[in-house]
Amino acid sequence: MSEIPLIQVRGLHKSFGKLEVLRGVSFEVKRGEVMAIIGPSGSGKSTLLRCLNFLEEYQAGEVLFDNTLVGYRDSAAGRRKLDSERNIRRIRARLGMVFQSFNLFPHKTVLENVIEGPVVVKGQPRAEAEAEARTLIARVGLTDKLDTYPSKLSGGQQQRAAIARALAMQPAAMLFDEPTSSLDPELVGEVLEVMQSLAADGMTMVVVTHEMGFARRVADRVMMMDEGEIVELTPPEQIFTKPESPRTAEFLRRVLH
Amino acid sequence: MSYTWQWQLIWDFRQVFVRGVEVTVMLTWWALLIGLGLGLLLGLMRSSRLAVLRWPAAVYIDIFRATPILVQLVWIYYALPILLGLQMGNIVAASVGIGLHAAAYIAEIFRAGIESIDRGQSDAAKSLGMGYGQAMRRIILPQAVRRMVPPFINEFATLMKLTTLGSVLAVNELLHEAENLINNTYRPLEVYTIVAVVFGLMIYPFIWLSQRLERRWKTRG
Ligand SMILES: Nc1ncnc2c1ncn2[C@@H]1O[C@H](COP(=O)(O)OP(=O)(O)OP(=O)(O)O)[C@@H](O)[C@H]1O
Ligand SMILES: [Mg+2]
Repeated sequence: MSEIPLIQVRGLHKSFGKLEVLRGVSFEVKRGEVMAIIGPSGSGKSTLLRCLNFLEEYQAGEVLFDNTLVGYRDSAAGRRKLDSERNIRRIRARLGMVFQSFNLFPHKTVLENVIEGPVVVKGQPRAEAEAEARTLIARVGLTDKLDTYPSKLSGGQQQRAAIARALAMQPAAMLFDEPTSSLDPELVGEVLEVMQSLAADGMTMVVVTHEMGFARRVADRVMMMDEGEIVELTPPEQIFTKPESPRTAEFLRRVLH
Repeated sequence: MSYTWQWQLIWDFRQVFVRGVEVTVMLTWWALLIGLGLGLLLGLMRSSRLAVLRWPAAVYIDIFRATPILVQLVWIYYALPILLGLQMGNIVAASVGIGLHAAAYIAEIFRAGIESIDRGQSDAAKSLGMGYGQAMRRIILPQAVRRMVPPFINEFATLMKLTTLGSVLAVNELLHEAENLINNTYRPLEVYTIVAVVFGLMIYPFIWLSQRLERRWKTRG
């Protein structure tokens, strides 16, 4: 069983109206693997990530999470139908997501943000959820901010709280969409550190990022995307030293100045 | 020429104002309840992804906003019973009419409030595995409600003032009682002054409350 990759994507196509954003994307993410996704703006990185937990519907191809088709099921007539909300939610609950703009719940404190998922979605008793939340919040270094509202936190603190909120669901994998892109440069490090320690603990992670240093140090493989396609998917040593594709070389030259 | 105000006379008739206020408050209460319940439903329908829900709500809202409330009230009191074969008392008809009217405006307040919340909030709620209802109840509406309070209080004040239109259906609300009193006493200036003061006293506390809430929520973000 454990050889079956946790996430399998095959021939994924996604359009917004006439605009084709993903044009046949296929890859796999093994358990415990960290995959970084890089590529120019508008290449479809966020859209790809959002298809993995079905925040976006896709038109063709398949996304399998833990060997289960995400978002759809086959109807009796052999045609694909939208899956039940219950099944979609069950998969989302097992995939943590961290956003570029944090998206903490502003009307809830850090502690309330972190227990929200376990209490509301899993029905965990509040006291138990709080105990676990405190451990997670300590792990991201925010113990002194338990009862603080997000608007009183720095960007780095907000993002660490958002990571704790996602972890509270005990996800099988974590999806990060440019988690440090809206942070002041001096706050990037504290968030990357938390992510690195997660990776070290064996968390399966898919990370869209512009932090090439992080991708190089932490990722097992790096995916280069351009215009809705995978240009290259190789270990970091290779992509950063001798990229196969001229498009990758050109992109890296630009971001690494 | 100087006018002699006769407040003693008004004081002698104070019971008339008390009765009027009671009916006005009752009309306001029922109209508000109908307006809120239906308004929330219409607002949710209006911001739905499903056209079958969005359309009827949009048509309802446009009809009630594009026609005069006086016509709506008269129509509900006189024409609806003929169509549906059910007789309504004038107070019920006035409550329902003002409530249905207010629902159209309240629906727009709900919709605008819901749509003012960043999409990232519902993304975050969904990514935790929350359903539509949970995300609405726990994440979107609590934030939206804060933004809706000022326009909502505004609508509430409008609604309370609209109850005076109940007088066209001979509902004994404050204005109607006041006009009866004027017919008996010939003291319109005193009576209308009191009516204005009483409405002001009923409405102002809500305006004050809304300003306080706004300030408090601002500091908490
Ligand atoms: N909800 C949407 N409706 C319509 N078009 C969209 C939507 N979301 C994204 N797009 C379009 O899809 C394309 C890919 O967007 P996407 O956000 O996936 O790119 P990205 O690689 O994440 O870019 P960035 O690095 O700027 O975040 C873009 O052209 C974008 O304008
Ligand atoms: Mg993006």
